[in-house]
Formats: sequence, C-alpha cells, structure tokens
Amino acid sequence: MIPHLFKLIWNKKKAHALLIVEIWASFMVLFGLATLVVVNVGNYTEPLGFRYENVWAIGLKANQDTTEIADKLQRVQQRLKAYPEVESVSRMGSNFPFSANQTNNGIEYKKRKVLADFYTTDENFAKTLDIPVSEGHWYRNADSVGKYTPVIINQKAREGLFGDENPLGKIIGERFRVVGVIDNFKAKGEFMTNKPAVFELAKANATWIDTMLIKVKPGTDATFEAKVVKDIASMVTGWSVEVDYLTDSRKNQHNLVLVPIIIALIVSGFLLINVALGLFGVLNLSIAKRRGEIGLRRALGATGNGISTQFIGEIWVLATFAMLIGLLFAAQFPLLNVFDLQASIYVIAILIAVAIIYGIVTLCALFPSRQAAMIQPAVALHEE
Amino acid sequence: MLLNYIKIAWKVLLRHPFYTFITLFGISLTLTVMMVLTSFLDHLIGSHYPENKRDRMLYIMQMRLQDSSRTSNSSGPMSFKFLTDYAKSLKTPERVTITTFINSSNAYVGSQKIKLNTKFTDADFWQVTDFDFLEGKPYNEQNMANGENVAVITDDFKKHYFDNADEPVVGKDVEIENIHYKVIGVVKASPATRPFTYADVYFPYTTPKSNYQATGMRGGYVAMILAKDKTDLPAIQEEFKSHIDRIPLPGIQDGFNYSVLEVKGESYLDNFIGPILEGNSGIKTIFFGVITFVLFMLMGLPAINLVNINVSRIMERASEIGIRKAFGAPVKTLVWQFIVENIFITLIGGTIALGLTMIVIHLINTSGMIAYADLTINLNVFLISLIVCLIFGLLSGVLPALRMSKLTIAEALKS
Repeated sequence: MIPHLFKLIWNKKKAHALLIVEIWASFMVLFGLATLVVVNVGNYTEPLGFRYENVWAIGLKANQDTTEIADKLQRVQQRLKAYPEVESVSRMGSNFPFSANQTNNGIEYKKRKVLADFYTTDENFAKTLDIPVSEGHWYRNADSVGKYTPVIINQKAREGLFGDENPLGKIIGERFRVVGVIDNFKAKGEFMTNKPAVFELAKANATWIDTMLIKVKPGTDATFEAKVVKDIASMVTGWSVEVDYLTDSRKNQHNLVLVPIIIALIVSGFLLINVALGLFGVLNLSIAKRRGEIGLRRALGATGNGISTQFIGEIWVLATFAMLIGLLFAAQFPLLNVFDLQASIYVIAILIAVAIIYGIVTLCALFPSRQAAMIQPAVALHEE
Repeated sequence: MLLNYIKIAWKVLLRHPFYTFITLFGISLTLTVMMVLTSFLDHLIGSHYPENKRDRMLYIMQMRLQDSSRTSNSSGPMSFKFLTDYAKSLKTPERVTITTFINSSNAYVGSQKIKLNTKFTDADFWQVTDFDFLEGKPYNEQNMANGENVAVITDDFKKHYFDNADEPVVGKDVEIENIHYKVIGVVKASPATRPFTYADVYFPYTTPKSNYQATGMRGGYVAMILAKDKTDLPAIQEEFKSHIDRIPLPGIQDGFNYSVLEVKGESYLDNFIGPILEGNSGIKTIFFGVITFVLFMLMGLPAINLVNINVSRIMERASEIGIRKAFGAPVKTLVWQFIVENIFITLIGGTIALGLTMIVIHLINTSGMIAYADLTINLNVFLISLIVCLIFGLLSGVLPALRMSKLTIAEALKS
C-alpha cells in the first residue's frame, strides 16, 4: 500500500511541488516556534531558588555627594532595620533580582572555567530572599579573614568547576574561598536559563553596594514606603532614592520574554490557519477532480473507508516528503550547535513540529476524503 | 476590456464563496500583518510627536571606549560637561539640546504610589522637540539662571497626582523624593517608545540630583542636534567628528585605560542598528538571516498558498479557457486577464486588510501595552502596503496564468 502511494505521489511530483514547498515552509516555521517554546518551558520548570514576595529594592544614588558614602549607607541600613515593618535588610550591587543589570566574570578552578554571574551581597542576603543553603553555610562577616573573600556558588557553578569534588573550603579565581553551595539562582525570573552564579561578600567600605533589599511584613503598603523614602531622603540629603517592588520588576522581566513569544505565536498561528485553509481548498478540488477514479474503485469493491484512507495516506506521504527536506535544514541546528542549546531541545521541537504538521494535514484531508468516500459508483461512472 | 475582466472576476468569486473566503482570508490576513508591522516600524523610527523634525535631527546616544588590545569595552551615555564642550559648541546646527535618558523615581499621594519616569533637560529641549503645551510654558534659561525648582509634567501624571484633573495646575507644587517643584507647564505625553523624549516629569538640569556637575566624560546625558536643513547633516557630522578628534588619545577614564574613543552623531535609526551593522560578521549574519527568514515566511508562505489555490481554481475553469482559445484568443490576452483578476482580488483583500489594520492599531493604541502609543496608518504606510499588495497579486497570478496558458485547446475542451 505505502510503496503504491509513493508511486502515485511521485508520478505527479510537478503538480505537488508547490504543496511540498508549502508544507516544508510551515514545518520550518513550526520548528522555530517550537524551539522557542520548548526552551522557555524548560527554563520555566526549573525552580527559581529564592522568594521575592514582599521584597522591595531601594536603590540609592549618592549623586554629587562624595563624603563618607560607605558610612552613610551603613546608617541607612541600620535605620531600615529599626522599622517594625521590616523583617530583614540586605545590601547588594545594582544587579539585584529582576533588575536590568548583570555582571559576569570568567572564573577558574584547576583549568576548568565557567562564565558566572557575579553578585556582591552581605550576610543577610540569604535570609532576605529565603535562599536555602544546601551545603556549608551562607557567609558571615567573620568569614572574611586573610586574603580570601568568602563566596557562595550555586549548583550549576559547582558542576562546572568541581564536578564530583567537594567544593567547600576550595580556593577559586585566586581570591575567593567557597564557604557554601545553594541550589538555583535565576535572578532574571523563571524564564532565565539556569546559569552559574557566584555570590561574593561585600566589603564593609564598598561604596557601590548601594541597593537595599528589604523584606517587609505582608500587608505593608505605599504609606510606609512614602515614610521610608522621606526618612532616607532627610538622612542623606541630595541622594536619589528609588523603590522597586520585586514583584513588579519580575513582571517586567517576564514581559521581555513573553511579549515576543506571544507575537510570534499569533503571527505563526495565523500563518498556519492560512496554510490549513489553503491545503483544504486544494485537496477539496483535487479530490473532486478524481471522481471518475473513485467511482471506478468503488465499483471494483473498495469500501468507503478504504477510499478515505487512501487520500489521507497520500497527503501523509506528501507531508513526509516535505518534512524530510525540512529535517535536512533542522538537523543542522543540533549538529552545528547553533545558539548553544542542548540537542534534546531541537529534537523535541522537531517532534512537536512533525506531530502538528501531521495533525494539520490529516484534518485538512479528512473532510474531502469523507466526501469522496460517499461518492456513489453509479453516479460517478455515469458522469464519466 | 478591463471592466469586462473585473466583471468576470466578480462572477467567478461569487460562484465559489468558500474559495473566495479562503483566498480573501489569506490575502487580508497577510496584508494586515504587513501593515501593522510597517505601521509599528513607522511608529518607532518615523518623525512623530514630539520629535516631528526627526528627518533633520542627529542623535548622540553612546560613547564607546576600548582599550588598546581591543578586548574590553565600556560604553554608555555621556556627561553633561562632555556634551557641552563637544556637541553644544557646534556651529553648523540650528540648535543642540542635552538631556538625560529616562530615570525612574516614585511619587506618593496618600497611600498611592505613582511610578515616574523623569528627565533632566536644558532649555533648548523644548525648541528641538515639538511638545504640545496644554497649560503653561516651558522653562527657559532665565529659570535656570535663577536656580528655580520648576517642572514640566505630562497630562497623564497630572491626572494621577492631582485630585481635580480639570483645574489648571500651573503654579502648584509637586513633591518628588522630598523635593518640591513648582509646575510650570503641562504637555501632552510622548509614547514610551521614544526614549529621547519620553518622561512623565521634565526638570531643568540645574535642579538637584541631575549630576550635571560631573567632570568625567561618561554620565547620564545624551544629545539631540537639530539641523537647519536636511542637507546640513553630513557637514554637522563632520564638524562633530573634528571636535571629537581633538580629544587626546590614549587616556584614562574612571580607571579604564582607553585608546579608542567613539562618539557619533547619527540619525535615529542608525543609532540603534548601527551597533549591529558594525558588529562582527556572525551577529550580522544572524540578524539579517532572521529578518530574511521572517520576511520570507510572512510573504512567501501565504503567496505559495495563494498560488496553490489559484492553480486549482484556474484548472477548474479549463473549459472556459479552452473555448476562448478555440475562438482565437492569444495566450497573452488570457494571461493578462488572469493577472487582472488576481490584482482585483488582492485589492479587495487589501481593503479588508486596511479595515482590520485600523482595528488592530486601535486595539494596540488603547490597550496600554505601549504607554501613549500613537500608531497610525499614514500615507507612507498605506503606499508601502499598496505596493506589497500589488506584488502579492502579481506573484500569485503569474504562475497559474502561465500554467493555464500551456493548456492545449483539445485538452481544455475535453473537460
């Protein structure tokens, strides 16, 4: 049956060339879209690694003030801690979670290198963001002895640098000593790839560690926020104070990822509806043209089901042709390692695209082939 | 003759409403996507409120510093001082304005928080841009010399901050980060997609926290240069370059040793795609690869689809063709007829698309996805769409017509 169908399609290859091109192009669109979706769904299922609810980021900028900045920052931190509404305060650089900033550096241990995101934070960071420490402990100011700065690494950085070795107490990058390991830290939200991260203890006199992350009690509103801003502004005159809720910044980060995907989905969705309708029309006409052939087959004893199976089979063969060509293109992505993604992502994307194409062509062929199956042999042969 | 073809086309369309629907659906949908995209691009890069003179403006957005081994880069906006020294001093342009990019801040009204985007500008800002003043007037050199804490706010901020939005607010007080500013004017808001002009509150650069006193080369400021005439633009770029060339190289900036310094006054579009075009060939290939692919899919897929439908439809009309051929109609006439028919259908689809586009654009404008969006179908957008329309009609008409013309009379008459 199948070789026979192949022969049928091959004999009319010229007439079908355009259909094949169309299915091929749809396959490529679907492949691209599916890759995008698979990558992001994959990222989304990885845990975030911290809690952002009720956490505010207070960004301070000294502007033209240049005197005793570190001192003033510490005073602001003390003042924040004193509010009954505030559970915990932590200082870090401007690359706080969900912010638009990021810092990364290459780091090396015994010739193994990883490119890791760097965060400079203090001893309250894990408490403020509820980060569980799976091995060792979160650094304390007392850990900063000698020439080594204590650092925490995440699981991803640990795999990259140490493999199966125990990382605790090891020196990396010549000046960092690992004191703890955490699981994930996806600072840019759920859609971010789980990347290696390194947390470094801030020096007390660092002036650029000027973002205060505060965790407030649930139900604290903008009235308190206004009070905090007012108090800080009068403590450090001339400074800019900006408050961001991490829940809001998270939404921004998500929109950066989701909006392009939604636009792509809508556009591709319309393209595919377009293609499906076109296919449907073409099949409808071409099957109607073959009434004579169908009548003859029915007269020779073919069942209605047999007829519709034949037409669906034909379109499946056609789709397979088109997708084999498509695969030649799609296979280049995992083979050449384009965009640095795992091969499994492309394979899943290809499978999804293949499944959807077969689904679409089957749906398009179903109605015309059902109609063809209902043709009465006597009527068809009489027309002939 | 033409009218006759159109009449035939109309009858054919009515004969098979389902195929007509498919064809029109495909054409109008594709054109809608194209038109919304063109309109969006036009919104992003065209001359619109409040940058109505964008065609004779140059933008200085980024300074790039690179070390001698060309491994590390540092780039970003510049300091007020740098722009005053090297851009404000240009002789050829009509005017130069220095402004910050968007800064964020918050204002509080009772237990309400208003998220704010603020901008520090000089007085020329209001001359270079074309803001509509609903109330009051912009600040000028005099206000700055007096060191007044004044602000120009947008109508949207006014609505959120003041209880009674109908009353004039000029002369009233707004408090932002513990500093009181006197409202001096209210302008119609600019869309968020125009970073050089978008903000909720505009302050003179002399107000606190603007950091205009910073002495280094880098800072938070960018500049817009307005030329007297479009033809002056190359001369201005030349003059600016000669100013930049005066800076001694190599030098040290914030502890960064640089030996390459790049600052350019460029048109708005070049500002954003410039870095991509100058980037390495890999980025360029990917960028253009993606654009070509998307365009091919957007235009190509529906076109192939239409060709497919048209081929089947024309084959259905084989008997009509056969009779006309038998009566001596030359192939050219027949091909011409089918192309006219196709263009006719495409134009109908184009009209539908125009309607759909208006709906979509209206939805985008009112949805608040882009704050104060003002997408429009202007003459440019409409003409581009019309050309796209015609290419589409030809593309999907020629192939079926050629195929049809190969039909022999006997074969055509047989069916």
